[in-house]
Amino acid sequence: MRIAAFDGGKPGVVASDDTIVEIGDLLEQYDPPGPEHYLPDLIVHFDELRPELERRTEAGGGTPLSNAKLDAPFARPGKIICLMGNYREGTDRPLQRIDLFFKSPESIVGDGDTVVLPPHQADIFHHEAEIAVVIGREAKDLSDDEAMDAVFGYVAFNDVSARGLGRSGINSFLGKSFDTFGGFGPWIVTKDELPDPQNLHITVDVDGERRQDYSTSDMERPIRELMTYISSITKLHPGDVICCGTNHQGLGSMQHGDAVTTTVEGIGSFTLHVKDEHSRAWQRGVDRETAERVKASAVHPDATPTGGSGS
Amino acid sequence: MRLVLTQDDRIGVLTEGGMVDVSAAFDDIRYRTAADRMPRVMAALKDRRHRIEGVAHSGSAEAVPALQAPVPRPPKLIAAFGNYREGWDRERQPQDMFLESPDSVTGPDSTVVLPRHPADIFHHEAELALVIGQRAKDLPADASTLDAVAGYTCAMDVSARGIGRVGPSRIGKSFDTFTPLGPAVVTTDEVPDPQNLRVTLTVNGEERQNYTTADMEYSVVEVLAFISSYMTLVPGDVILCGTQHQGLGALQDGDHAEMTIERVGTLAVDVRDPLKREWARGIDEEMATRQRAVGQS
Repeated sequence: MRIAAFDGGKPGVVASDDTIVEIGDLLEQYDPPGPEHYLPDLIVHFDELRPELERRTEAGGGTPLSNAKLDAPFARPGKIICLMGNYREGTDRPLQRIDLFFKSPESIVGDGDTVVLPPHQADIFHHEAEIAVVIGREAKDLSDDEAMDAVFGYVAFNDVSARGLGRSGINSFLGKSFDTFGGFGPWIVTKDELPDPQNLHITVDVDGERRQDYSTSDMERPIRELMTYISSITKLHPGDVICCGTNHQGLGSMQHGDAVTTTVEGIGSFTLHVKDEHSRAWQRGVDRETAERVKASAVHPDATPTGGSGS
Repeated sequence: MRLVLTQDDRIGVLTEGGMVDVSAAFDDIRYRTAADRMPRVMAALKDRRHRIEGVAHSGSAEAVPALQAPVPRPPKLIAAFGNYREGWDRERQPQDMFLESPDSVTGPDSTVVLPRHPADIFHHEAELALVIGQRAKDLPADASTLDAVAGYTCAMDVSARGIGRVGPSRIGKSFDTFTPLGPAVVTTDEVPDPQNLRVTLTVNGEERQNYTTADMEYSVVEVLAFISSYMTLVPGDVILCGTQHQGLGALQDGDHAEMTIERVGTLAVDVRDPLKREWARGIDEEMATRQRAVGQS
């Protein structure tokens, strides 16, 4: 099932004939204190809601997608957890140490929305297409066996990234947390429709030019392992989002006027527009220097000096 | 005004005689859990000041009951890297911040539980924390910016070192229970100069950290201006202003850690480690020396 939001945050379900059916009235029964509760409530009560959701999509009468403005399917995720790296970059290099960071929940935008580049003096602004997991229940210390039970579904994600800001050498990742830097869309696909999330094709096209083009089979640590590791650190809640990292072969700049389309096979596509009041210009096409540097940067986990210094 | 949240979800104001229940001043605010209630309370604090004081005036004080963190799960938990001169007259480092898991927050007199992850050490970091009271973006670095702040509180940014891939720990600060917060949100009028507050932390009565917020590299208003140039701040967001590393030390099983910020309050927690690991007690002088050397080249 495809769960979406449209026309100013109305929750809906997308039918097979590409119409969208509003379901806000169904979710009002849970007395949400605010619209940010719609999605978590839908997830928590999904099993009991599912028959009615299916009945409505089969009954027809929804709004054609071509007449609706899709929004990001979440008003505001409780947490956005992002993996650092997490792809082998097309090599057969050894696994790197797992690491992650948090992205501001205020960063989200949806299909057709605009990424606004800030005046900050970044080296470049990159697109990073990723598959993201939407959490289905409260979870802590998940075992390997139960890890995938805590998944609700999947969504396509673009982790827009300003490079070169902040204190050098400490990887704050704050350059990924600007408002409008979290592209989500076009909808959440429930996990039953994607039985093998480790074999999906992901692409980014910028104004029709192919940039990223990789498979989730290149992921260093599969979603199951991400679920167990992350839940060993922090409690997960329904509607939390885990962005599984990107393959850096194919990153490129995002600049004023660009239309950036992110596609994940089995989920769908969404497009972000880019606005830069300063109209800065970078080289177009794939950023080969970043691609080569990331490919070469793999270090054997046992040889990695980590931590130690303060913060 | 010093606002607290009790373990049985009552909102109170601390007075000389203990605590007065002022929940009635917020009884129209809809919520499901304390986590989604307290950001709404923080947003309402300034406008309802007279109403809260009225309820407090007509109520009677009780002994301060068991408390939870005044914002049990902030919308965002944002922390400053470093941000102290470490007692030296050095140049400021470039400003930088990062996000921690909001689920790491725990309350006064609770227990910090060390995870099984093989960290090099678990450090305490006593910090001045800001609680945001209104939506804000692109705040200026001047005194008017404090209007966006609901109040100050104490935070311990417990830090597992050596977790993750490169550089200083970030994820090692996001374990559940690793951000004790509280006890009260102290409104800004009670703290006329946030850049001149003594911060101390003891472990089992032994002094570890002892510094002043006058040593901060980027002041409270500069921290607010910086982070709001990146992201919209929302009511209930908590911002940790960084720590001075002279005086950090290990937290280990059985420890009782207590921090005090002048005018803001005292926050204490116990520490439990199911693995009963042991580290050297006292101040981590190696860390202190290394942090003093930053920017000294």
